[in-house]
Amino acid sequence: MRYAAGKVVSFAATLFIISLITFTALQVLPGDPALLILGTEGDPEAVEALRNRLGLDDPVPIRYGRWMLGLLQGDMGESLRYNMSASELILRALPISLMLAGAAVGLSLCAALPLGVLCATFRGRSIDLFGLTFAQFGMAIPSFWLGILLIQVFAVRLHLAPPGGYEGITSLVLPAVALALPRAAILTRMVRASMLDVLHQDYVRTARSKGVSLWAVVFKHALRNAGINIFTVAGIHLTQLLAGTIVIEQVFALPGLGQLLLPAVLQRDLPLVQGLVMIGASLILMANLGFDFILAALDPRIRFD
Amino acid sequence: MMFRRMVVLFMLALILALTTGLGSTAQDLTIAVPTDPDSFDPTRAVAAASWEIAFNVYEGLVRTLPSGELTGGLAYNWNVDETGTVYTFHLREAYFHTGERVTPEDVVHALNRIRDPEVSEARAGDFSVIESVEAAEDQIIVSLSRPHGPFLFTLAGMPGAIYPRGAENQASQPIGTGPYRFVEWRPNQHIRLERFDQHWSDSEPFFTTVEFRIMPDDSSAVLNLKTGHIDVIPRLEAALLHQVENEPGLNVHRAPMNLVQILAINHQREPFNDPLVRQAAAHAIDKDEIIFGAAWGEGQPLVTGLSPAMAVFHNDEITDYAYDPERSRQLLAEAGVSSPSVTLDLPAPYAIHVQAGEIVAEQLGTVGFDVALQIVEWGTWLERVYSQRDYDMTIVGLAGRLDPHEVLVRYESSSSRNFFNFQNPEYDALIAEGQTASHDERIAVYNRAQEILTEDVAGIFLMDPSQLAVMQSAIKGWESYPIYVVDAARLYR
Repeated sequence: MRYAAGKVVSFAATLFIISLITFTALQVLPGDPALLILGTEGDPEAVEALRNRLGLDDPVPIRYGRWMLGLLQGDMGESLRYNMSASELILRALPISLMLAGAAVGLSLCAALPLGVLCATFRGRSIDLFGLTFAQFGMAIPSFWLGILLIQVFAVRLHLAPPGGYEGITSLVLPAVALALPRAAILTRMVRASMLDVLHQDYVRTARSKGVSLWAVVFKHALRNAGINIFTVAGIHLTQLLAGTIVIEQVFALPGLGQLLLPAVLQRDLPLVQGLVMIGASLILMANLGFDFILAALDPRIRFD
Repeated sequence: MMFRRMVVLFMLALILALTTGLGSTAQDLTIAVPTDPDSFDPTRAVAAASWEIAFNVYEGLVRTLPSGELTGGLAYNWNVDETGTVYTFHLREAYFHTGERVTPEDVVHALNRIRDPEVSEARAGDFSVIESVEAAEDQIIVSLSRPHGPFLFTLAGMPGAIYPRGAENQASQPIGTGPYRFVEWRPNQHIRLERFDQHWSDSEPFFTTVEFRIMPDDSSAVLNLKTGHIDVIPRLEAALLHQVENEPGLNVHRAPMNLVQILAINHQREPFNDPLVRQAAAHAIDKDEIIFGAAWGEGQPLVTGLSPAMAVFHNDEITDYAYDPERSRQLLAEAGVSSPSVTLDLPAPYAIHVQAGEIVAEQLGTVGFDVALQIVEWGTWLERVYSQRDYDMTIVGLAGRLDPHEVLVRYESSSSRNFFNFQNPEYDALIAEGQTASHDERIAVYNRAQEILTEDVAGIFLMDPSQLAVMQSAIKGWESYPIYVVDAARLYR
């Protein structure tokens, strides 16, 4: 219980610190939001009136307090760029980014687990060579480039998927594959190495000598023990992707969090940027927390008390 | 058994993928635009992207034609009294998208809101010349505090839009009177419109639905166009033109954008406070090379601060300082500065200005200027260059308007938008005169004003880039406007 309580307290403290850093960083950044909204057609009176309405003239601590107060009530304020609630904008974009990150990690696990297990089990044979070559290529190919390639082949030539934009779940297939490949490559090597590690343990040799079949050993003993490492790495990938789909969203013109963040930063849409950073941070922290608990459940060496 | 079920599932998924992809049927139109509107509330919207779409939803008392001239909108005609200050508009029988009749009170309400600085801080200034708006039967009487030439053009833009009294949610659920009614806005995804069957006009638009799809990335938009997922890209980057130009099944329409790309000069700074140095700079610039290098040849060189797109008011007689590096060096020698050092600030997000800047620096360099390039982020540019006027030279695009006053008033000495610090008493007098003069007099007044801008080198006017509208060749009826709009009602298949 102490373990869990400690984790939750550090979760809240981290979020608080992130809110402070985000807010301060955006205040320090040059560029006046009101000026950015009005552009080259703005004159000083209009800029001043707009600053006033947006509450930009109040002292920084007051603005931080107001934002914090709203945040605790689930209100992130109104986006300056879209003139609508920042929470609403984020909630609309969030599912797309979440599905994309989830699908990418799921796909990479689906590819890496069998391949890694096969490589380790038949170490040095042709399947192992294939697996290692795949991993080498996969790690060398950047996602955005693969994305462009996939668009050319599957969208432009074969017309199997839309070449960008969001038209429903089919729009996520190609970007998920593009994101999954490099991660699958890393995971394959991980799975292979962890399996080899376990397969050389004494208890495995004992089990084999007692007549337990190869596959039973692989699935019952080796995979379960290697699982902790594999899930840790998959967890890291997931947290990376929760905030890291910006580039691929750009390539596929997907209306996820990244598409919201980029223009928001350039436009100094403070409420939206702050909201996005807080959401991103909470997601990563929650994912971390979740993985901590799962690992604690998987690994008897981590104690809850 | 299992295997067969898998195959069936796979085929189903494939069919789904194939059918959901191709959304456009015969009477649906899909248009790619790079950014969302900022708001559909006429008192709030300032982004060009808003009027581009809302043009199909809202109407004012008067409307803009593709030629840039005005025609009747909700008013079927109007007259101005001899003092030039009292406008009487005759309201036609028109209906809001809710089905309710447009009343004179609705018009008064909308115009009173837009001129109220408490409600509309960004736009009220443009309407401050209005003294009162009154309704009388089917007439609207607008009294101005003084004659104001551009007044009708102000009414034709988004701030002049008429919407029902008591409409609470114009920002995200706009109600207007235009040929299309608003259906849905999903930020970063699309805006959907549907044909409005009670529109006052006799000619019914061809397309029953119009979807504006948000596509920030032009190459992605091009791929969607080529694969038939979208029908029209109203404004394509010139850099991508080669991907669509000779493609069968696609058409490109070119028109001037009515944008003035200006190499702006700070007249209060050394060395540009000396007219000779400004002339030297003007002689050093080869505009054709800039158009070729920064806009892939897709633009028109400018000679003054007005684009030729404003056909009626543009002064075609002007000859600007010709490209002549020799003369340029001579002028620098006369001015006694053989190698003046200047900084050229370029706004980072605009590739066309940055690339033009690199060529400008090169050209100025060959005659002896020592140019330091500095690429600045847009927020910084607006603050330091535009507001604080802390710069030597910069390149930016000044959006065209329908009335020359709105474009040219920027160079008036006391204008807060005059970030060039340009000063010329004769020019100021002309700008004042242009507001009260008759239409024909205004042409003469603004012709002279344009001459002054060129003679004094108020700035070096580089080009008006072409608007490249690309669409499926089945789509007909495209008309480019001198303002930033897409007129979906004119299109048909």
